[in-house]
Amino acid sequence: MSDKVFVTGIGIISAIGNNTGEVFNSLNLSATGIGFTSYLNTIHRNEIPVAGVKASNEELLEIVTPCDNLAYTRTALLGMIAAKEAVISSGIKDISEKRTGLVSATSVGGMDKSEYFFSKFIKDNKAGKLKDIITHDCGDSTEKIADYLGVKDYITTISTACSSSANSIMFGARLIKNGILDRVIAGGTDSLTKFTLNGFNTLMILDKTGCKPFDNNRNGLTLGEGAGFLVLESERAANSSNKEILCELKGYDNSCDAYHQTASSPEGYGAYLAMKGAIGMSRLSTDEIDYINAHGTGTVNNDLSEGKAIEKIFGNKIPKLSSTKSFTGHTLGAAGGIEAVLSVLSIKDQTIFPNLNFTQQMKELSFSPVTNLIKDIEVKNVLSNSFGFGGNNTTLVFSRV
Amino acid sequence: MFIRDLSSISPQYTYNNKIFENEIKFYSGNRYLAIEPDYKNMIPLSLLRRMGKAVRMGIGAGLPLIKKHPGLGGIIIGTANGGLEDCIKFLNQIISYNEGSLTPTNFVQSTPNSVAGHLALMSNNTKYNTTHVHKGLAFESSLLDAKLLFEQDEVKSLLVGNVEEISDYNYNIDYLAGLFKEKEVDSKSLLNSNTKGTVCGEGSAMFVLESSPANSLAEIKDIDQICFPTESEIIEKTKHFLDRNNLTESDIDALVLGLNGDNRTGFWYNNLNKKLFKNHGVFTFKNLIGEYTTASAFAIWLSAHIIQGYKIPEEAVYKKPQSEINNILIYNHYEGSQHGFILMCKS
Repeated sequence: MSDKVFVTGIGIISAIGNNTGEVFNSLNLSATGIGFTSYLNTIHRNEIPVAGVKASNEELLEIVTPCDNLAYTRTALLGMIAAKEAVISSGIKDISEKRTGLVSATSVGGMDKSEYFFSKFIKDNKAGKLKDIITHDCGDSTEKIADYLGVKDYITTISTACSSSANSIMFGARLIKNGILDRVIAGGTDSLTKFTLNGFNTLMILDKTGCKPFDNNRNGLTLGEGAGFLVLESERAANSSNKEILCELKGYDNSCDAYHQTASSPEGYGAYLAMKGAIGMSRLSTDEIDYINAHGTGTVNNDLSEGKAIEKIFGNKIPKLSSTKSFTGHTLGAAGGIEAVLSVLSIKDQTIFPNLNFTQQMKELSFSPVTNLIKDIEVKNVLSNSFGFGGNNTTLVFSRV
Repeated sequence: MFIRDLSSISPQYTYNNKIFENEIKFYSGNRYLAIEPDYKNMIPLSLLRRMGKAVRMGIGAGLPLIKKHPGLGGIIIGTANGGLEDCIKFLNQIISYNEGSLTPTNFVQSTPNSVAGHLALMSNNTKYNTTHVHKGLAFESSLLDAKLLFEQDEVKSLLVGNVEEISDYNYNIDYLAGLFKEKEVDSKSLLNSNTKGTVCGEGSAMFVLESSPANSLAEIKDIDQICFPTESEIIEKTKHFLDRNNLTESDIDALVLGLNGDNRTGFWYNNLNKKLFKNHGVFTFKNLIGEYTTASAFAIWLSAHIIQGYKIPEEAVYKKPQSEINNILIYNHYEGSQHGFILMCKS
């Protein structure tokens, strides 16, 4: 049993960089990853901007250099790269030395290969390579990551749409708290697909000029891709190796909005419950939260309900807040992992990242997000929100040790 | 944790418990399709028309339980594939209309968390809500999640269940991958077929689990899992699993095994049976409901009835147990890759 769960490693790949260093530089330069170039072969490529990772599948394969000839989806490759970086940054040399698990998350799994397969298979059910479809299920990328890292003790996958990897981090922490595992690599991965791009397009929530979170004229989200993983460790495991502890995962909560399958309630009831629960668990008061890394997708619906829920919790003392989706796009099942890494970076480097593309405060809200990088500010506690389809809302609270 | 109530939609007459009155449905061929109840008293027709099979089976099995047991502390669903038919339909649209004018219904229902989301929405449950999707262990992970909630978080009751559907495309692809029988085998002779491949099933089993034993039907005492093991690791894991529950092999009264008639992977079950449980009674279930990733949920449904003393159809009795059944070990694997252990006891 462990009362506390510490973060000892982070790994990330996204449209703004292939590792933590590159991502941090882009954040410091306010350089967004959103644009019209990606490796996704879609008819919408010159019309709907996305936030793609700046590497082809072949280039990603070169980074991981697997020693087998299996089929690797883009989702798996992104996950392998970020999870490996997290393990290295945590200073883990021997993965089997302690009871170690992998809890990964994804929304559409190996869809990037499935849709390629189906484009042939639908016309002729003898066409298409089987190798391109057996990677379809959500568990495939997790198994590939586990194999790559050598994780054996516990492997699982969670899929709750856009809150998937916040839930995998929460589940990982609970496995440690219950004494089932000593450490867990937890996060998520998702790649850009025609499936999700067209899916969100049919819902008419993609902003053709790039997402503008919390702006009065916001008009939808921008899809992104990437992966983000944390290494979580029990107090004993973290202390036994004398390593740098990046922060503590002090609070978490999963609540359901139970309002609509794809929209959140106007007053953000589920978001309110998740934030309230996570802050309550952390035993912090609301004025001790220094920064909110918001879900902030840029859709009319999300930012209003999230904003209303934040006002309900924090009253007229709203912490500094931004949506880093203006850099990374909305990476769906990876978003909770990617934003957890950015929340840890905020604490580690005492920095608050800006919310890009903001010009005008929402008329329904009393606050605006941070629009310029803030350095040398005390960041002790960060709250990270992840909300998804099906009303799945999860909030994490990270605290400086 | 204790089973307070349960429900199952499966290829057998389980929804109305007629299976325990000798009403058995026999199958020939590879597809064991779920016998679905009349949903119209549960789901508004306008919603039902648009619902994929996975979603409606999940709601059909889960919603009546939620309504009967108000105030549940959360909903946890295990499904490796979720609404696969919806997913493929949407892919089909993308390809057929070359990313042109598409409708979102299939997209929205294709996410694996659609069942858990719908159940929460239809019952206004704002508590813990999650979906585990890891291949042949998606349901075991859901059970572990539930166990942790009861132990750590003072949750008193949960809805935990599985759902998996047969879709045409997935069936065809899995067939190409060699998962299913090439020659037609009927369900009576499936387990003795001694050929490669199995048959495809589907369904949803839902459970109201509680931390308290009061009024319960059976106990789910422990869960464990292992991926890509060696044969000796399975034996060690089983011993360790019993040991940590202060049990030995002789305390187990019967096994429930996931035997599915595939002669390439049956040895996992037979080895464990021979090495540790030679004289034990054995029950099977995949000759009734087919194979799918979260079939162990059905094994729990069946075990809960065995423990309660229901008249179990002889099709499920592989080897007759000698004693009254208090403790059951469920051992199930999916394609020899993911292996799960569940310990069930009389409560």
